[in-house]
Amino acid sequence: MKGQPIVIERVYEAPVDRVWKALTDKEQMKKWYFQVSDFEPVVGFEFQFSGGTKTETYIHLCKVTQVVPGRKIAYTWRYEGYEGISEVSFELFPEGVKKTRLVLTHEGIESFPKQPNFGRESFTAGWTSITGKMLKEFVEQA
Amino acid sequence: MRRDVFQAIADPTRRAIIHLISRQSLNLNAVAEQFDVSRPAISKHIKILTECGLIIIKEQGRERVCEARLQKLQEVSQWVEQYRTFWNQKLDALGDFLDLEDEDDALKKRKPSKRKKK
Repeated sequence: MKGQPIVIERVYEAPVDRVWKALTDKEQMKKWYFQVSDFEPVVGFEFQFSGGTKTETYIHLCKVTQVVPGRKIAYTWRYEGYEGISEVSFELFPEGVKKTRLVLTHEGIESFPKQPNFGRESFTAGWTSITGKMLKEFVEQA
Repeated sequence: MRRDVFQAIADPTRRAIIHLISRQSLNLNAVAEQFDVSRPAISKHIKILTECGLIIIKEQGRERVCEARLQKLQEVSQWVEQYRTFWNQKLDALGDFLDLEDEDDALKKRKPSKRKKK
């Protein structure tokens, strides 16, 4: 009865080591992902970041579970003060010399509660604004 | 108490019960026999599942038969869909970031002296 994991694939015009750096370097993660507290690609390393809507933010708590340098990084993903735990993994596959296939897998999402402030509309709105704003600012600064 | 599809599937025993009943309607005893959990515990899970709208109990003579109502599980896939949207946006952001990094490198190589950092 477990929900199907989300699996998304992308091919980037960048070599594996560059994508790996964007996924695991604290400063680079801040530019496209989240304002992570800290990050090290080491199993057991714990980090957090906040995300959510304008009125509600959720502290995301993560713990690195798998590291294969240049190949795979996985961490747990849960919300402070809420039940449920999920796991996110990023896998990289070189496509020739200059391209990289990324496979993102997120499983266990269905274990999260569906509470009023945790509703899916607010979630989508929040994600959209975070991503849109972050990306916009980054593009304008560059 | 929260009573929705997410609460219903939060517990592994309840997931197993849904799976069992989705294949064939069973009476309470038949369900309980399938698990190494006490009969009252199973009754409690079934009660929660009915309150969450995933099971209905029909009286058939002296028997109480559990029938699955799986439409609500769609809410779960809708929930998962939100995350899919979120990740698609994040992976787009990663792509843009990688492209920009590329342009940065190219600029540095072309005119290293004129480019000033903010």
